[in-house]
Amino acid sequence: MSTPRNARERARLAAEQAAARKRDRRILIMMIAIFLVVVVAGGIAFQAWRTSRAPSATPSAAASASPVTIANGRPIVLGSAEAPATITLYEDFHCPHCADFEEQFGPIISHAQEAGTARVELYPMAFIDQGSVTAANAMACAAEAGFGQAYYRGLFANHTLKWSDPQLIDLAEEVGGSLSETFRTCVTRRAHADWVTSINAAADTNGVAQTPTMLISGKEVDIAALTPESLQALISDASQK
Amino acid sequence: MSSSVATRPRLAAAASWVSTAARLILGGVFVAAGWLKVVDPQSSVAAVRAYRLLPDSIATIVGWGLPFAEIALGALLLAGIATRVVAAVSAALIAVFIAAVASAAVRGLSIDCGCFGGGGEVPPGQTAYGIEIVRDVGLLLLAFWLLWHPASRLALDRFVTGGQRTK
Repeated sequence: MSTPRNARERARLAAEQAAARKRDRRILIMMIAIFLVVVVAGGIAFQAWRTSRAPSATPSAAASASPVTIANGRPIVLGSAEAPATITLYEDFHCPHCADFEEQFGPIISHAQEAGTARVELYPMAFIDQGSVTAANAMACAAEAGFGQAYYRGLFANHTLKWSDPQLIDLAEEVGGSLSETFRTCVTRRAHADWVTSINAAADTNGVAQTPTMLISGKEVDIAALTPESLQALISDASQK
Repeated sequence: MSSSVATRPRLAAAASWVSTAARLILGGVFVAAGWLKVVDPQSSVAAVRAYRLLPDSIATIVGWGLPFAEIALGALLLAGIATRVVAAVSAALIAVFIAAVASAAVRGLSIDCGCFGGGGEVPPGQTAYGIEIVRDVGLLLLAFWLLWHPASRLALDRFVTGGQRTK
């Protein structure tokens, strides 16, 4: 049996061990905290770089279109005026589902535009963030300058960018638009800011509450149920009427 | 803490495997959820903003940083490092998620939780707050299990701390 001395000794040892364990636990918690902070801070820095770098993804060449007139409350028309089918699109250049939509269905719509079977009436709404506004404004500038179609595809191909003025101007170079001083100032001065506001108002008037919204020859399409095949069929139906 | 389990060796062994499963499920879900958001920073920020709880500048930081926190926690869980500490942080994070989704539901917003990428506004009537909260509560229970019984098989904890104290 233990003598009082042994018992004291054992208690001291146990206390020491407990203290060591406590210290170990504190060090472990600190290491985990540092690890988390480093990963998160690194991640934030990485995304900051990623959203502010120059646009790099180039969509396949799009047919150049004739310059488009920008009128308050009126959409940007991309494609032949004689095209039998009209595809109306309400999109925000920063809306995640719009980017998905564009990735999945954009090529089919572009094909119809280039084949002259459909034209797109684009309402670039801007409600997500500042980038939505600057991109919508620049989209109008590009359409006015005659490279709206390529610019539209470039905006969605690079939708992870925040759309600062230099990025929007770089994108124009990237998609092969003629970089006139007019385009530059149109972007930097937000020449079509009022038009962007008028598009938001027009969407509201037309009862559009979400993006993307698509109408084919005036009839709203259920995008949730849409497949590339059914879109193809809807466009050919509309173009044969 | 786990003395009642430890007194019965069979149960203790089974509980350790349950903890392994909990770690792998919770860790896997975190890594997947984080990765799906990391690839699309703009969507991630938009998803945070859609909750209308944070000012824009903070929503941006959260939208960029949170997915990396999820991946880091998920990786630690998968490896089984500092399981109890990580489980505690995970539980706190999941509780915040549940509160955020519940507040969106209560305020009548119609948004997708953006839990696995995407997010943002959805048409009224297409919300799935119930399922989202049930799923998160399930994950919270896994985190609670790990808080209570962090010792598990196939974990690095035993090398890092010389074995969790299951006795």
